[in-house]
Amino acid sequence: MSSPADGLGRRQALGLLMGGGSSLLLGGCALNGLSEAVGEATQPLNERIEALLQGRGAVPEFDRRQVQPEALLVNSFNGTPRIAPDAYRLAVRGLVRRPLNLDLAALAALPQRECVMRHVCVEGWAAIVAWSGPRLADVLALADPSPLGAYLAIRSADQYFETWDLVSALHPQTLLATHMNGAPLPVANGAPVRLASPIKLGYKLSKWVTGLELTARLGDRLGTWEDRGYEWFAGL
Amino acid sequence: MFTTSAAPPTGAVRHGPLWTRAFHAFNLVVLVVMGASGLQIYNANPVFGGRGGITVPELFTLGGWLAGGRDWHFGFMGLYAANLGLWIGLLLRRRHRRLAAVGDVGTLRASGNPPKRRLAAHRITYTLMLIVLAFSLITGLAMYKPAQFWWLVALFSFAEGAGHDSWQVLRISHLATIPAIALLLGAHVALSWRVGGLRLLRSMFV
Ligand code: HEM
Repeated sequence: MSSPADGLGRRQALGLLMGGGSSLLLGGCALNGLSEAVGEATQPLNERIEALLQGRGAVPEFDRRQVQPEALLVNSFNGTPRIAPDAYRLAVRGLVRRPLNLDLAALAALPQRECVMRHVCVEGWAAIVAWSGPRLADVLALADPSPLGAYLAIRSADQYFETWDLVSALHPQTLLATHMNGAPLPVANGAPVRLASPIKLGYKLSKWVTGLELTARLGDRLGTWEDRGYEWFAGL
Repeated sequence: MFTTSAAPPTGAVRHGPLWTRAFHAFNLVVLVVMGASGLQIYNANPVFGGRGGITVPELFTLGGWLAGGRDWHFGFMGLYAANLGLWIGLLLRRRHRRLAAVGDVGTLRASGNPPKRRLAAHRITYTLMLIVLAFSLITGLAMYKPAQFWWLVALFSFAEGAGHDSWQVLRISHLATIPAIALLLGAHVALSWRVGGLRLLRSMFV
């Protein structure tokens, strides 16, 4: 059972294992190149489970008194666009029977909702925020969407780009927010119109939104950060 | 399967079946991947100090950047959960001999028989390891899906009265499993050594 050769083999194997374990710990950099492959191998299943878990019901909300304005950090990939409120138009295009250019008055005329939710950034921080404005679903309904639509592309004034699955976009708590914590949306937080939803990570919640496009499938571009390697579904 | 009780007097190492050894080694790899990729995630926004906080040296991280760290962390979480479930299942089946019981604490306090005390200490150690690993899974899940598992997040709101938001409590709890498991792993190796020496260690590896 333990010939000398055998024992040596084992000892070598033990050494290999120890070496392997510690180099994984100490020289993880060597494995960094594999990150994307690991993600590509596991994300399809993870996304399926995420979508399954998500459900369509409402997520419990916080109390208005729990908001944490100081905890909400500002991220921007390309500066802060300033949009004159009078000149603002939201374009709704794609697989819709009635393409639209909505001004702020048209958005304000829709039923207004508030969602007091935890805004979670992929970086790890989170803040409770009260977002309010019309539901994204109500805005899309104005354009009479075709049943073929399955994804929504979202364009922003700073060239930020996002794509969502339509189920998440139509979720009752997904809003096109025009207000934050009861006051008009500050410029740094996406004025005049941004996305807000308790079921997606912060990078899905585009600021300075100027265009919506309903599509049947995803194109080459998944999103500003997704194209650099972040998860596409990014559900919470 | 384990060879603690009847270590052969001399000569051959009695190996556990290949699958237990492979499984045991695989566990270590999965744990290191989860820990190192978690530390990579930590660096995107340190739990202590936020954007100005001190980051973990790159040496201990895996993934290269935040998205890479998340690729590994969420790529391996399924394996990690399956492993943990299997361990708990295996040990529960043989719980009378393997899992810690209240009696072990008594043994530790009262017994004058050192080997018996060490065995008791060891059983307590790996039972605690399983608890810490399960805690890591629960706190991780709460941060991965806070909208779906809001009730899990709510369990961590106990310090809100003292001004500690449930999210921060969750982050600290999840991070705390790293030093906790490192200590327990150290104890696990040291105790295996004293219970069964190189023979026991080799019986579980090669
Ligand atoms: C199924 C199991 C697990 C899940 C679902 C999970 C999930 C997560 C999530 C979602 C984060 C990001 C937290 C944030 O945004 O702040 C995270 C961070 C982290 N994880 Fe895990 N995790 C799991 C297991 C583990 C294990 C076993 C370890 C190591 C013992 C670990 C160590 C860490 C560390 C150090 C961080 C960084 C802490 C932070 O920045 O908040 N995780 N994990």
